[in-house]
Amino acid sequence: MSAPGTADVAGAPADAAATPRDRTTLLGTPGRRLSVVRVAAAPLLVAAGLLVLFLWVRSLELDSIEQRTLNSDYLVARVREHLVLSCAAAALVALIAIPVGMLIHRSQSTVLRTVVLGLANIGQATPAVGVVILLAIVWKTGFSTALVALVAYSFLPVLRNTLTGLAEVDPATREAARGMGMTRWQVLRRIELPLASPVILAGLRTSLVFAVGVATIATFINAGGLGDMIVNGLKLQRYPVLIVGSCLVAAIAILIDWLAGLVEELARPRGL
Amino acid sequence: MSDRSNSIFPSTAGTSGGVSIELDGVTKVYPGQGVPAVEDFSMRIEPGELVMFVGPSGCGKTTTMKMVNRIIEPSSGSIRIDGQDVLHLSPDQLRRHIGYVIQQIGLFPHMTIADNIATVPKLLGWSKTRTSQRVEELLETVQLDPAVFAKRYPRQLSGGQQQRAGVARALAADPPVMLMDEPFGATDPITRERLQAEFLRLQAEIGKTIIFVTHDFDEAVRLGDRIAVLSERSRIEQFDTPDAILAAPANEYVASFIGSGAALKRLALLPVTAARLTPVDGSSRRPSVSSTATLRDALDLLMVTGADALDVVDEEQRPVGRLGHADISAALTPPERVEVGTP
Amino acid sequence: MDIVLHPGAITGLLGATPVRAEGYQGLDGLQTFLERRSDDIQQMMIDHITVVALSVGIATVLSITLGLVVWNHPIGRTIAVTSTAVILTVPSLALLAILSPLFGLGWGPTVTALVLYSMLPIVRNTVTGLREVPAHVLESARGMGMSPTRVLLQVQLPMAWPIILTGIRVASQLAIGIAAIGAYVAGPGLGQYIFKGLSSLGSLNALNYALVGTVGVVILALIVDAVFVLIARFTTPRGLRV
Repeated sequence: MSAPGTADVAGAPADAAATPRDRTTLLGTPGRRLSVVRVAAAPLLVAAGLLVLFLWVRSLELDSIEQRTLNSDYLVARVREHLVLSCAAAALVALIAIPVGMLIHRSQSTVLRTVVLGLANIGQATPAVGVVILLAIVWKTGFSTALVALVAYSFLPVLRNTLTGLAEVDPATREAARGMGMTRWQVLRRIELPLASPVILAGLRTSLVFAVGVATIATFINAGGLGDMIVNGLKLQRYPVLIVGSCLVAAIAILIDWLAGLVEELARPRGL
Repeated sequence: MSDRSNSIFPSTAGTSGGVSIELDGVTKVYPGQGVPAVEDFSMRIEPGELVMFVGPSGCGKTTTMKMVNRIIEPSSGSIRIDGQDVLHLSPDQLRRHIGYVIQQIGLFPHMTIADNIATVPKLLGWSKTRTSQRVEELLETVQLDPAVFAKRYPRQLSGGQQQRAGVARALAADPPVMLMDEPFGATDPITRERLQAEFLRLQAEIGKTIIFVTHDFDEAVRLGDRIAVLSERSRIEQFDTPDAILAAPANEYVASFIGSGAALKRLALLPVTAARLTPVDGSSRRPSVSSTATLRDALDLLMVTGADALDVVDEEQRPVGRLGHADISAALTPPERVEVGTP
Repeated sequence: MDIVLHPGAITGLLGATPVRAEGYQGLDGLQTFLERRSDDIQQMMIDHITVVALSVGIATVLSITLGLVVWNHPIGRTIAVTSTAVILTVPSLALLAILSPLFGLGWGPTVTALVLYSMLPIVRNTVTGLREVPAHVLESARGMGMSPTRVLLQVQLPMAWPIILTGIRVASQLAIGIAAIGAYVAGPGLGQYIFKGLSSLGSLNALNYALVGTVGVVILALIVDAVFVLIARFTTPRGLRV
């Protein structure tokens, strides 16, 4: 289907990055030692961007509508809502999807695997905004709906990465482990899981960054977050509000990707 | 190892050597395949014996071997190790007492060499000190300096070093039985030869019962106490000592598998003392060959020097006899059961 | 946890007051809904495909050109891949919103955003594909006296094509999904129905709108993916087909 190490169509959007060898990220080409430049570049750029944004906003004459949103209380509240929503979603996905992936892998059922991977491909093609809005229509609006929609949306990609990561473990390594008398669970826990962890973490990272993006849409169903600023700025033609909202959400996404990239690299088992 | 409380095979209590393996009417049929991969395979392997399974790829030799530790479950037949039916043991328990080395080695890339070797001792619940002592001892046995290699990761080792670490890992819990699937197949010829020599030296020390699968007949001749030449469905075409097989191939199939130069291969197995030496008195001007050399070495020397005979000398360089072309030929003619010399 | 009103925020979209969806009527009306609006739906699907095709087409030209320029320069390569990766990190609603003051509403911001988002997979796969051509092939090409440019265009590019095509396929899937959000800045396509569902929240047809919009996007994505399988089959150089 696709050459090794390249984006596979099955990959989630940013998750074209899910293959460990060719993961190109904000940190540059991973796998080697972390250089100072690579560690510091993203936060420095973001800080510089935010500083410019801050100075620009200060130089503006804000009208009453703008003043109501462009103040620290309002901004902190929106950023907090946004982070809580995306992080809660990613954490829930990790807690559910990884164990489920382990169980499916353990069951050794090819039927189950095929069904899950097929569903993941269709889930992949489903627009996030559609999931969020549909759920709001059939259930209710608000934070919990947004959370459920986010979890539902990120669940399959993480599950798929878990399955792929576990399946990609070198058969010789697995056979050696079995041949030494490890039980299937011991092989899973001590050998397969550590070896699959880079792929699983890459999937989680993608879903976290994605969650930050989809959380923006949560504003449509009254779940708060920085999407509020974007939508209001657009609707009321207050461009400073729109731009501050957009820049903040972009900054969060980039920083979270950066942070997740660091964790990913530090958590990579030594020897790989 | 004095503490053998972990052993599941009765006669290994107190000894470090091997135990017998008996396969009786073992058959493997894969679901959905009409023809069995292994059909009615029976063999008895003596304690401490190194038996080579040799045959072309796809003949079922690996399948046969993997049924012994139940990586592949036999469809029928029985397999007994030290008289105990392995099909009645838990596969995981069984495998912890059988050393297993595969061609791809399968070292765990995320663990250090020491942790790799400690895997089975940990599964068996050995104490930390006992495990670490054993790891150190084994690294020395396979000639990897513990100070250098214990904390390294597999990818930091060369192919030959990885293979040694793999053997050390298989030996970790001092299993009486070892299964080896083309363990040296992926190494370059020079490394392979060195690993083979080291392996023979090691086996002379530890005396495990070993089933060793290979497709390389020369390797089988070099290492094996006995060789089983296998054809399709793991049929045993001949099962005998290397010398006997070389001297008298049972059929066309075995002969074609031996290939050309059977006589030369045999000579490499025989010590010069296997030939009838003409007694000599005093020294001569003839080239000399050590009495521990093989007949092949002697023939080589004859060819190179152009002499018509050699003096065979003992460790103190005293001549013990004269050896000519005719004597070498004579040593080959009656396929006498000479004790298989380790080269 | 129902409706959260933020000070200064106008809730709901386009003046519609969000309410709990008790008015939801089930799927009974779906068939009538589809019959009555089939022309409308058809037009939106065509628009959706058009905006995606246009954007991915532009992105392909830009990205392959960029890839050909930077593939052999470590720094240029890192900058190209990293900056396109950063763009992909930016949430789509934010990018669309930022672009709207510059490009107005409708096709302008939608196409621009889709082009930007589509670039990473194509740039990265172009670079990877060009770099993965085995050294011995390059050496023999040069050994026959081909100039570096000729080697690049006649040997490397054809050999890298299957990988580049995979990148374009990923980009298309990405663009089809994001185009749905483009409807928020009045972009064309099925997203319009999804948002119409939101704005008529509580009414009889809300679910029909959102469902048709969402499922329509899924169907488009699957069709396009199948088309790419065919394209891959017919454009992969014969010798490279597996």
